[in-house]
Amino acid sequence: MSQSSNSIADGTASSISNVETTSDTAQLLSHEEVASTSNHQFNKPINFEDSDDDDEIHGSHGIRRRQPPQKIEPGSLNILSAKYESLDYDTCENHLLLDEERKRGYPFFVWKDIARWFIILLIGIVTALIAFIIDICIEEFSKIKYRELKKSVDKYVLLDRLYIPYLLWVLSNICIVFIGSMLVAYVEPVAAGSGIPQVKCYLNGVKVPRVVRIKTLLVKAVGVITAVVGGLAGGKEGPMIHSGAVVAAGISQGKSTTFNKDFKIFQYFREDHEKRDFVSAGAAAGVSAAFGAPIGGVLFSLEEGTSFWNQALTWRTFFGTVVSTFTLNCALSAYHGRAGELSYPGLLNLGKMDPFPFQFYELPVFMFFGMVGGMLGALWNFINYKLAVFRIRYIGTPWLRVVEACLVAAASATCGFLMMFLLNDCRPLGEDPTKVPLQLFCADGEYNALAAIWFQTPEASVRSFLHDPMGSYKPWSILVFVVCYFLLSTWTFGLSVSSGLFIPNLLTGAAWGRLLAILIQYMLPSNTINPAKYALVGAAAQLGGVVRMTISLTVIIIETTGQISNALPIIITLVVAKWTGDFFNEGIYDIHIQLAAVPLLPWEPPPLAHNIYASEVMSHPVFTLRTVENVGHIVELLKLVSYNGFPVVDPPLADVVEITTYKRLRGVILRSQLIVLLQNKIYNENANTTWSNLNVDMNMFRSEYPRYPSIDQLEIADWEKTCTMDLRPFMNPSPYTLPHRASLPRLFRLFRALGLRHLPIVNDVNEVVGMVTRKDIARYRVWRHRGHMGMEELILSSEI
Amino acid sequence: MNGFYLALFFILQYSMKLKADIPNNNPQNWDPPYLSKDPEPMNCTTIVNAFAQYASDLTRCSIMYARPITLCENCIKEYMNFHTKYQELLTTVVNGTSCKSMFISQDRLDAVLEYHDNILSIWDKGHCNACYDWSNPAAPTLSNQTVHFNTLYKETNNCIQKYTAENKSEVCNKCMQEYLQLDDYYKTLSEDAVGVDSICMDVFDSMNATRSTWSKTYNCCKLRRSPEIIFLCCAAIISALPLFYYIMLRYCGPIRDFPNVLKQSRFKQTILRSINRRIN
Repeated sequence: MSQSSNSIADGTASSISNVETTSDTAQLLSHEEVASTSNHQFNKPINFEDSDDDDEIHGSHGIRRRQPPQKIEPGSLNILSAKYESLDYDTCENHLLLDEERKRGYPFFVWKDIARWFIILLIGIVTALIAFIIDICIEEFSKIKYRELKKSVDKYVLLDRLYIPYLLWVLSNICIVFIGSMLVAYVEPVAAGSGIPQVKCYLNGVKVPRVVRIKTLLVKAVGVITAVVGGLAGGKEGPMIHSGAVVAAGISQGKSTTFNKDFKIFQYFREDHEKRDFVSAGAAAGVSAAFGAPIGGVLFSLEEGTSFWNQALTWRTFFGTVVSTFTLNCALSAYHGRAGELSYPGLLNLGKMDPFPFQFYELPVFMFFGMVGGMLGALWNFINYKLAVFRIRYIGTPWLRVVEACLVAAASATCGFLMMFLLNDCRPLGEDPTKVPLQLFCADGEYNALAAIWFQTPEASVRSFLHDPMGSYKPWSILVFVVCYFLLSTWTFGLSVSSGLFIPNLLTGAAWGRLLAILIQYMLPSNTINPAKYALVGAAAQLGGVVRMTISLTVIIIETTGQISNALPIIITLVVAKWTGDFFNEGIYDIHIQLAAVPLLPWEPPPLAHNIYASEVMSHPVFTLRTVENVGHIVELLKLVSYNGFPVVDPPLADVVEITTYKRLRGVILRSQLIVLLQNKIYNENANTTWSNLNVDMNMFRSEYPRYPSIDQLEIADWEKTCTMDLRPFMNPSPYTLPHRASLPRLFRLFRALGLRHLPIVNDVNEVVGMVTRKDIARYRVWRHRGHMGMEELILSSEI
Repeated sequence: MNGFYLALFFILQYSMKLKADIPNNNPQNWDPPYLSKDPEPMNCTTIVNAFAQYASDLTRCSIMYARPITLCENCIKEYMNFHTKYQELLTTVVNGTSCKSMFISQDRLDAVLEYHDNILSIWDKGHCNACYDWSNPAAPTLSNQTVHFNTLYKETNNCIQKYTAENKSEVCNKCMQEYLQLDDYYKTLSEDAVGVDSICMDVFDSMNATRSTWSKTYNCCKLRRSPEIIFLCCAAIISALPLFYYIMLRYCGPIRDFPNVLKQSRFKQTILRSINRRIN
């Protein structure tokens, strides 16, 4: 029995520290002893009904809980990292805020509102300009690359030395991808991939480290150019969304920590709440620039990000998205020599689709397309998941990842060249605009159809598949292309390069949609089948099967094709694709979020969870601070635990050590606030002297935001540790609390809707008994696959 | 390129205006009954009559020379007549009444304008104007490029015909020189190497026909295909590389320590511990 008691105590102690358990156990235990004698006495028997002593391993309410292992194999989906912190969406209503409101009054409020609109305008413009630069770079570099390659092919095909242009292609791919991959792997790993999972986490309220820094933006921009020019099966749309988010976070703060430059503007927006609002607007502007879809952008930020419908924010966001698409349109039109024509609303332009008439009997066909898309999407996700796990387990070091990216670049070129070489699909010149018609083995006056697909950017290929007339491609070449591109794109996503998955999936989907259209035409020779219709539906189905987005994806596709009348087929397809895909696995973004062990809160609380109470969910031994606290104690506590919020409680009435009590809640104070207070030495030698902190205002806290120093960086002399600090003016005096008998759904709703970070749990007399944070709630995860459903309790680790 | 032709077209139109008073000596075959009573617009009727005649001439010519396409070269006379007459119709003013206002945009049918546009659309679609040198807008001549192309084309064709008569299998070798010359010259004609949007249709079609004969009938492009063993070997090696890389990483990679599970601090554990303490 003593053995088990030891291990439990051991566990409790290790939970409050990031250090190795083996070496520091003794020290932590001694710390805990100190703490429990001074003001932490946990073992007061209280009237909790469910204090039955079943083993802690088994979950209580039919929740599947694994036997907690000591070690986890990396690459598991059922784990949460303890490293992620939450954003503070809740405003801290302390004295300083009241002071500021009183001093500045209504003019300040109005001024802030005007500033918000101005910032949104800037966000729209800057995001569009970044999109413009990326687009132009990709276009120009691609043009040069493919023109030179064509020259080389034309020259060497007659000399029987086709390996020279092939190796040239491989080499150019590798060189270009190498640059981007080095940047991503060594300079900013968070810029890898599309960035949408990271932005989604940020908007959900998780502080993903380094995700909205200017360095990330630079790496992302260069990375996406190199990835697309390097011939990888990736798109530039996802990275645009991330870029928009970074732009928003940067502009709204009026300073750059990376360049150590403070412009002394917009100080009042330096808090998590305002920053998150701007980031959601920035992500929307990014979507809008990427797809020319302003409404789709707004809906994207609503669907992925914000926790409730904020009318004013949505309106501002919409303004930002419209500005963004307009600016991009102007810039691109001017660049292409058609200034004022405004015919380039976004980076991805599927081309104007004619409204395609459809009959009722076609709806089942669209559903069938949706099912195919859902299954292919699930397969895509499965392959990508397996690859991601492999990458996590075996490809850890940056240089290995760079080598991998280069190998994939070489393989992409190989794939393309082999297809051109082996499938001799020739088409007469001049039937449709081909930038680089490559003859290869075709007769004179013809060009290789596959070379035309491979020797252009993927966007142009999507357009070809959508708009080319029936019979432009042989079914066999489409089939081979679909298989190759499907595998290449799932292989590419997750490499250490920044590229998205929208375009590759649209391309794959458009290709198999066209293939199915050809098959339907074979079966029904009397009808004229419109290949554009089925290609578009196929593209939507494939993309919907992979990303599983609903509202925003529908609107984005409608807006890029410019046809509202196609909405019903697209909605039906996307819904069926999502349902079919969800039967097998999660959407690709959720898979990557789970692999990163991010505690993301879903839209809804787990069902059938009303019998789980706050007393089970909460973390129990709460580390509290007294309203007037000893500086030494604060420093010690901050060094001991990694928590970010501490309940502030009344001092105990009597100094009786034996009787253990919970103490009455007075407020909540954050680690960051304590750090700033310690840094500025807002404390007194004597607890009874009057407090003279008139010069303290909100800007003291804002100037350090968002990167506060750690407690170890502060220099606190020994004599200062005897001083005392009054926390009352700085703490949040009225935090949201819940009684310990509150159910999980209730807790979840409060937490998610208000974007809370810390939620103290109190007993009947308002005494703190526990604390709920994001990780405590996020560990209850619902899974539903293959017709089954259940809830699982995840395990935490601080080493992921 | 389109803009250039548009500009050209306008210049043309402008210059036509200056020549609007060319005496019209076309015979009148038919008088519209409702206009014959009115003596003054008779002039307009004459013009329309002539215009109808030219329209039918141009249509006939276009159809006659449709396959193989030589209509640009053969119908220039008809085109010029047609075009000039139409400009005349637009610009003639008789006693303050313009002919345009009588025949064009008067009703829903608008037959004159519709036929004009339809007939002209064939001409424009074929970029026929590109065949000609328009330095003298009244009398266009075949441009130097077209003439040169035609020379080369005739040479090639003659060569092919000559050797076909002698020995069919010799065509490829013997005529390669001429064919390549023609092909290269054709490629210089347009900027985008496809030529669909700027080259005169006569030239375009001749080239297409030649290329088709060359590469399909005589199969002279089979030389392009070759086994390319080295290329296939390179491709095989490069596609095998990632596989080796992954296998190597899987079995030879450094073994890393697995992350530890974090024990969570929960109320139940604390209760248990306190009970244990008391027992001990």
